[in-house]
Amino acid sequence: MTGALPPVLRVSDLVKVYRTRSVVTPVLHGISLEIPAGQLTLIMGPSGSGKTTLISLLAGVLRPTSGSVELCGVPISDLPEAAVSRVRRERVGFVFQSYNLFPALTARDNVAVALQMKGHSWPEARSEAARVLERVGLGARLTHRPADLSGGEKQRVAIARALCTRPTLVVGDEVTAALDGHTAFEMIELLRAHVGERTAVLLVTHDRRLERFAERVIEIEDGRVGADRAGEMSREGWKAWS
Amino acid sequence: MRQVALFSLVHDRTKFLSALAGVTFATLLVLAQVGLYQGFLDGSSAVIRRVGGDVWLMARGTPVVEFGEALSAGTGLSVLGHPCVARVRPLVFAWAAMRRPSGAFDSVQVIGFDPREGPVLPWSLREGLPSDLAPPYRVAIDESDLTKLGLSAHPVGASLEVGGKRVHVAAVTSGIRGFTLQPYLFTNIESARRIVQMGDGRATYLVVDLKDPECAADVVAEAERRPDLEARTTEAFAQRTEAYWVTGSGAGAILGFSSLLGLVVGVVIVGQTLHSMTKDHQRELATLKAMGASRRELASFVGWQATLLAALGGAVGTALVVGLKHLLASLGLKLVLSPAVLGIGYASVIGMCAVASIGSVRKVIALEAAEVFK
Repeated sequence: MTGALPPVLRVSDLVKVYRTRSVVTPVLHGISLEIPAGQLTLIMGPSGSGKTTLISLLAGVLRPTSGSVELCGVPISDLPEAAVSRVRRERVGFVFQSYNLFPALTARDNVAVALQMKGHSWPEARSEAARVLERVGLGARLTHRPADLSGGEKQRVAIARALCTRPTLVVGDEVTAALDGHTAFEMIELLRAHVGERTAVLLVTHDRRLERFAERVIEIEDGRVGADRAGEMSREGWKAWS
Repeated sequence: MRQVALFSLVHDRTKFLSALAGVTFATLLVLAQVGLYQGFLDGSSAVIRRVGGDVWLMARGTPVVEFGEALSAGTGLSVLGHPCVARVRPLVFAWAAMRRPSGAFDSVQVIGFDPREGPVLPWSLREGLPSDLAPPYRVAIDESDLTKLGLSAHPVGASLEVGGKRVHVAAVTSGIRGFTLQPYLFTNIESARRIVQMGDGRATYLVVDLKDPECAADVVAEAERRPDLEARTTEAFAQRTEAYWVTGSGAGAILGFSSLLGLVVGVVIVGQTLHSMTKDHQRELATLKAMGASRRELASFVGWQATLLAALGGAVGTALVVGLKHLLASLGLKLVLSPAVLGIGYASVIGMCAVASIGSVRKVIALEAAEVFK
């Protein structure tokens, strides 16, 4: 399934085993795959199949028991934590089902935090955040706090926060689960717009409706790749959704 | 991270205000206790330091300045022959019975000095001049003792019966009180001798001024050859008096314990608040970690909150303690807010907030970025 573009992610023989004092739980059993740039990829599968563990490993927030993960050619599974953090800061954007926004910060400041982490001064970060939020249709909500925003608006803020630093890889976890059909479409539209020659979007989801907008669908079953197939991404797909 | 931390802290007003109250309370308590301690220290040795000199001669076994015994006339001759001695000043410092207008008796401390010699006594005059004390039986009293002495707010010209003698108030001092809180009564040395029934030429202390302060040890050794005489440098006698009253009386320990209690209460309240804030924002902090925030950046989330609490609580606590200072002054208690006292107070509060934040910092550092997907 390797695309023509160089892979954003390359995973070889990935194994993850959770251990407690008395219990050993193997979750992933030797997964190998590549995620090229220019694609929106879905990771699907039943609950407990290991897809959340897989995306955690791919995003570099969890270490594999064995095997390797390369993000943009950097072997993050072999790097110390501080170095992996720097790679994530430079290359990865995150979107979550529950948004994970700071309740005390306005929409603009929630986005500005990500820009500040990339080295912008706080005033610069705030003005850039305002521009990004205007682009995602939240120009009138800059000074609203998450509690004053609808679910869709919160997710827009979260997506703006993930995309504002122009990451190579955007990782999303059930980003449409709490949203109605129309709002979910708007979110996917924003994420699809980020897919480019050097960028990729990787979403964990149970939402079968999203297959129409993905180039690729990876099914995880019992910690293994059960299926790795092309998605239904097409102009017709966009129209059907809308 | 500063913005995230500070906005998050202020956003939850209940927790913020309870933490702020904790730091304010701790600041108030620490500054008040340390300030009172310093006030007691200053008060207990104020007369010694004001009279000054290089060496004090006293009856052997004198524990503190308040409990001196009369030296016999001519005692000063034992050191006057020393080539390093410039002069010897007599000082009366003795207890006397005062009869109130109601007929009840109370004790006062009579301080008699020669107004022609040495530093001007008494200092800090609110009304009158030192020269007003030159005529016989003219005394200066402190404004904080007026009620105790049964006098009006403007007592100049009023009279008192002390040591069976009628004395007249000629001056009023401000903020001069000893550790015992019994009234000081300043007068010229002749009147003092009459009041405390001490013979001519006698004194409680002989204050020796030296031509060269380096000779102090030699003069002390010379004076101590006499079996009835004890000599101390001015600083050593002041420190002995401070130690006797403040440390020996247990007052220092009580004040120290109260300060510690305030800090412990502050640590618990601030620690609880910071911990609760960290727990409330665990998901968002894990998100920042996933986004690439370093451990140091995450720890600064707690650090900025602790800093803001220390700064605001310190400022409010200081404002309150200034008010308390005036309130205590009206009750005759001296609360010193010198740069050293403020330094100790602020260092304690900063230390308190630092200790209170340790648990939360450890929790934040231990956060797993993978928690964002759970």
